[in-house]
Amino acid sequence: MMRHWSIGGVIGAAVLAVLVLVAIAAPWLAPGDPLDIVGRPLLPPFTDPRFPLGTDQLGRNVFAGLVHGTRVSLLVGLAAAAAAIGVGILVGTVAGFLGGWTDEGLMRVTEAFQTIPTFLLALAMVSALGASTVNVVLAIAISSWPATARLVRAEILSLKSRDYVDAARLAGMSRLGIAFREVLPGAVQPVLALIGITVGVAILVESSLAFLGLSDPNQVSWGGMVANGRAVLRTAPYLVAIPGAAVAVAVLSVSLVGDAMGRRLLVSRER
Amino acid sequence: MGRTWTLIRRRLLQAIPVILIVSIGIFGLLELAGGDAVDAYLAVTGGGDPAFAERLRQQWGLDAGLWVRFLAYVESLVTLDFGWSVVMSKPVSVAILERLPNTALMMGAAIAFSACLGTLLGGIAALRKGTAADAGITVGALVLNAMPSFWIGLIAIVVFAVKLAWFPLGGIASFDRPDLAIGRVLDVAWHLVLPVTVLGLAYMALYVRLMRSAMIETAASDWVRAARARGLPRLRIVRRHMARPALLPVVTMLGLQAGNLLGGSVVVETVFAIPGLGSLAYDAVSQRDLPLIAGILLVGTLMVIVVNLLVDITYARLDPRVTDDRVRAGGA
Amino acid sequence: MATEFSLSRRHLLLSGTAITAATLLGRQRLAGAQPARDGGTLIAAADTEPRNLNPAIVASNGVFYVASKVIEPLAEMDYETGLRPLLAIDWQGSDDGLTFTVQLRPNVTWHDGTPFTSADVAFSAMEVWKPLQNLGRVVFRNLESVDTPDDGTAVFNFSEPTPPQLIENAMPALTSVIPKHLYEGTDIAENPHNQDLVGTGPFRFGEHRPGEFYRLHRNEDYWAETLPYLDEIVFRVFPDRGAIAAGLETGDIQVSAFSAVPLVELERMAAIDGVSVIPGGYEGITYQITLEINHRRPELADPRVRQAIRQALDPSFIVDTVFLGYATAATGPVPQTATDFYTDDVQMYETDTDAAEALLDEAGYPRGDDGNRFSLRLRPAPWFAQTRATGDYVRQALRGIGIDVEIVSADPAGHINAVYTEHDFDLAVGSPVYRNDPAISTTILFQGGLPAGVPFANQYGYDNPQMNEIISSASETIDTAERVGLYNDFQRLASEDLPIINLVEFTFITVARDDVQNIANNPRWATSSWADTWISD
Repeated sequence: MMRHWSIGGVIGAAVLAVLVLVAIAAPWLAPGDPLDIVGRPLLPPFTDPRFPLGTDQLGRNVFAGLVHGTRVSLLVGLAAAAAAIGVGILVGTVAGFLGGWTDEGLMRVTEAFQTIPTFLLALAMVSALGASTVNVVLAIAISSWPATARLVRAEILSLKSRDYVDAARLAGMSRLGIAFREVLPGAVQPVLALIGITVGVAILVESSLAFLGLSDPNQVSWGGMVANGRAVLRTAPYLVAIPGAAVAVAVLSVSLVGDAMGRRLLVSRER
Repeated sequence: MGRTWTLIRRRLLQAIPVILIVSIGIFGLLELAGGDAVDAYLAVTGGGDPAFAERLRQQWGLDAGLWVRFLAYVESLVTLDFGWSVVMSKPVSVAILERLPNTALMMGAAIAFSACLGTLLGGIAALRKGTAADAGITVGALVLNAMPSFWIGLIAIVVFAVKLAWFPLGGIASFDRPDLAIGRVLDVAWHLVLPVTVLGLAYMALYVRLMRSAMIETAASDWVRAARARGLPRLRIVRRHMARPALLPVVTMLGLQAGNLLGGSVVVETVFAIPGLGSLAYDAVSQRDLPLIAGILLVGTLMVIVVNLLVDITYARLDPRVTDDRVRAGGA
Repeated sequence: MATEFSLSRRHLLLSGTAITAATLLGRQRLAGAQPARDGGTLIAAADTEPRNLNPAIVASNGVFYVASKVIEPLAEMDYETGLRPLLAIDWQGSDDGLTFTVQLRPNVTWHDGTPFTSADVAFSAMEVWKPLQNLGRVVFRNLESVDTPDDGTAVFNFSEPTPPQLIENAMPALTSVIPKHLYEGTDIAENPHNQDLVGTGPFRFGEHRPGEFYRLHRNEDYWAETLPYLDEIVFRVFPDRGAIAAGLETGDIQVSAFSAVPLVELERMAAIDGVSVIPGGYEGITYQITLEINHRRPELADPRVRQAIRQALDPSFIVDTVFLGYATAATGPVPQTATDFYTDDVQMYETDTDAAEALLDEAGYPRGDDGNRFSLRLRPAPWFAQTRATGDYVRQALRGIGIDVEIVSADPAGHINAVYTEHDFDLAVGSPVYRNDPAISTTILFQGGLPAGVPFANQYGYDNPQMNEIISSASETIDTAERVGLYNDFQRLASEDLPIINLVEFTFITVARDDVQNIANNPRWATSSWADTWISD
C-alpha cells in the first residue's frame, strides 16, 4: 500500500494524525474553557510553565486556544467539505443523468455560484444570519460545492453510455435509481481526489471569516486569535504568528494527504 | 473580429440567469437577517424613537410588503439603475465607482503576478523535474498555498512596512499626492506592492502545479519527441511545443479563479486598509444596504465575466483549433 | 450612546498613569515657553467615516470628531467656567422654565459668506434638533417654537417647564447650528450639505476621499480674529489601530484621539521620544460598560438574582484586565466625572461569590446535577473590543456561581434589532455614554413604559413606578439644587433595584506628537473646534 505514498503524503498523514489526536485530547491537554481569563495579560511564550505559549491581551492561555482551536478548524473543515461534496455529488449526478432542461438549469445555478465571488457570499451569509458554527459550515459548503458538481457531472456523462447502464435500464430500474446505484459509485472515485483541496479551502475560509470577526464567540478559532493579536502586532507578534502558523500547518497536511490520495487513485485507475 | 463579438454576446447572455439567481439569493438572505438598514443607521447614530424609525423606513421604502420591495429591487436590477444607497447617502453607482478602480487595479495586478510567476516557476520545475529546484518550487508553492493571506499580510506589514520601512503601512495612495501624474502612478504602485504580492502569492500555487504537470505531459508528447528528433533548438522546443500548449489549462484556470481572487481581496483589503470593493461589500452587508450589496455583487459578477471573456479570447489566440465547444463547456 | 460601528476597532481607556502625567507636564512647560504659531497642517488619525456628517442631525462622537471643526454649537464645555460662549454670547432661562433666551454673537458669517442670524438657530432647533436629532428628540421634546425678535436673539418656548440647567448642559453636544438658507425647503436628512458641510467654524470643509481622508482648510473669516492657528487639518482614515500607532511613531500621524491606539501599546508609546500619551480631555463624554438585563425572564425579574449576578462580578477585574487599569469601577448610572450630579451615597456591592450562591439558593434556583442553576444567553454589543471582552468575562464569572452563559454575537444592526426591538436576549453588554446631564441619555435607560424599538433605552421590561416618578419630576424641576437631589435619589434607587448593572466607566485617551499644542484643554477636546490648536517648531 505505502509504496504509492510519496514522502510528502507520509509527512502530511503523520502531521494530520497528530492534529486529530490533539483535537480529540484537547480537554485533557488543556483542561477548562480556553476562553477563560487565567493569567497575567501578554506573557510571552516560554516564560511561564503554566502558559507554555504565553497569554493574550486578556490573559487567556494561548496554548489552550491553540489546542481547542484545532477542534474547531478540523471539525468545520471536515463538516463543510462533507456538506459541499454531498451537495456537489447530488447536483452533479442529477444533472448529468437526467440531462435536458434539468441539466441546463442546474448547470446555470452551478455556473452562478462559480461566477460570483463566493467568499463575499459566505461573508454576507454569516454576517447576516449570525456567527454560529452551523452557519459558518453552511456558508462554506454553499460556496464550495460547484467544483464537485461539475466533476461528477462530467464523470456521469462519460459513464452513462456504458453497457452496464443499458443493462440496468433494460432490467427496468428507474433512471435516478440507475444514477445513484449503478453509475455514481464509479463517478465518485475522482471526487476523492478533491477532498484534500476542499477540506483545505474550508479551513482557510473558516479562518478568514474568523479573522473578520465572524466565528462562534463561544469557541476559540485560530483565525479569531490572529484577529485578536492584530491590534498588538508590534508588542506581541507571537499572538499573530502562532495561530496563523497552525492554520498553515493544518491546511498543508490536509492538502499533502489529499494529493497523495489523488495520486494513488490515479495509479489504480490507470491499471 | 466577428468571433469575438459572438463570444461576448454569448457570455453576456449566459450572465443574465447567473445574475438573476444571485440577486434573488441576496434578497432572501437579507430578509432572513435580523435588523434592517434603519436598525443599522440607529446603531451608528445612537438611538431614536419608534416614530422616527417608522419615518425613516417609509422614506427608505422599507415599510412596504415583501413583494413590493422585491419588485422594486428587481426593477432596479433590470433597469441597471442601482438606485440610492441609503446608508452611504449617495447613488450606489457613485459609491461603487469610487472603489472599483482600486480593486480592479489590485486584482488585475495580482492575477498577472500570480499567473506569470506561477507559470514561470511551474515551467522551471517541469524542466528540472526530479531535481532539488523542482522539489523546492513544488514544496514552496504548497506551503504558500496553505498560509492564510491575512497572516502573510500581517507578517509582511511587520517586516517590510514597520521594521524595514520599505513600503507604506497601508492605504492606496499618500494623502499628499505628488503633483505630477507619473509621481501619482508611482505612489499608487508603491502602495500596491505588498497587497498585490500577498494576494498573488496565495493564488500562485495553483498555476505552479498546473503548469508543471501540463509541461511534463507535453514534454512526453509525440510532437516534442518529433521536434527533438528533428534537432530543433532546445529553447524553441520548450517555447513552441511545450510551454504554449501547456498554457491552455493555465488560462482556463485564470477565469475560474477570478471570482475567488475577488473574494480573497476582501481580506487583503482589510489587512492593508485599501478602500476597495471588498471592504465596501463588508460595510454594505453590516449596514443592511440592499441596493448597495446588489450593485457590488453585480459589478463583481461582471468583473468575473469580463475576465472570462478575456480568457476566452486569449484561449482562442493560443489555440487556433479551439471550437465553440470550449466556450460552451468552459463555463464561467 | 454614540456607538459608531467601527469603534469596535478602538480600545477604550481611562486616564491616569504616572508615566503619562509626567510627559504631560513636560509638554505644558514646552508650550508655555513659546507663543502660539500660525500655520501648518495637522494630521489626525480617524477610524470611521460617518455616512451623515451633519452634527445637527447625528450628535455622535464619530461625527463631531470631524464636523465640530466646521459646524459650531451655541457653547462649548470649559474646564474653568463650565461653559464657554461660541455662537451664543449670553443665555438666560425664565423662572417658570417655559422660555430660554439666547443672545447670539454678532458679525458671524457662514462659510459661503451669508450672515449668520437667529433665523438659522430657530430653523436648526425646530426643523433639525427636535424632529431629526438622535439626542434632541428627548431634550427638545417640549420645544414649541423659537421666536426671533431680532437677528441677534432667539427665544426658545417650551410647552412644559424645562430646566435651564438641562438646556445649558445640552448646548455643547445638541445645538450645532446649520445654515437655514441651504437647508430650507429641502429634504434635510438627505441634503448634500450633510456631507459637504457649511458652517461658521474655524475650518472650512475641503474634501473627502472615501477610505482615505477628510481635508479641512483654515477659515480666514472666522469670528475669533486671531484664530484658528492651523492652515489645514487632515483626518487620515486608518481602520487598523496598529497602523495608527506606527504612524505616530514615524510622524505620519500627529494626533490620534478616542483611544485609537490600543491600550497595550500605550506604555511603549509613552516611552517613545517625541510622542505623548494624554489621558484628559474626554470628561464630558464618559462611557460606561453595563450589563443589560431582560426582566421578562422570570429568574432575572427576581431582584435577588440580579443582586447575586452583581456580587458574582468584579468590576475591578474588568478595570485591570480588560482596560489594563485605564478605567474606574462604576457605582451607578452617573459617572464620577460628573461632579455636579454624582453621589456615592448609594447601595454598594462587594464581590462575594458565596453570598451570590446563597442568594440564588434562597431565590429557589439550586444547582442542578450538572452544577448549573439555569442558562442565559448573553449578547455583547459588537462595537467595542471591551464590550466583547467583558462578555467573555461575565460568562466566565457567572459559570462560577452555577449560571451557564452562552454568548450570541451579531453585527450592529442585528444586535440593535435583537435587544431593543425583539427583546431576544437574557443579558447584554452595553456601552452607554453619559453626556453632561442625566436627562440627555441616561434616565432613558431606566424609564418604564417605552414602546419597543427605541435603541439605547429601557427595553429591559423594567417598569418601577417609583423610578418613573423620580425621572419625570426631575425632568421638569427648575431649581438646580432640587433637581440634583432628585438625580441623587435616582442613583440610589438604581443601585438598590439593579435594573441594569453599571460595571465600569472610562474616558478615552489621546496620543500625540509633542509638537502639537493645546491638546486636551477642554472636557470635550476631541469633539471641539480645535481653533486654538497649533504646531510648534
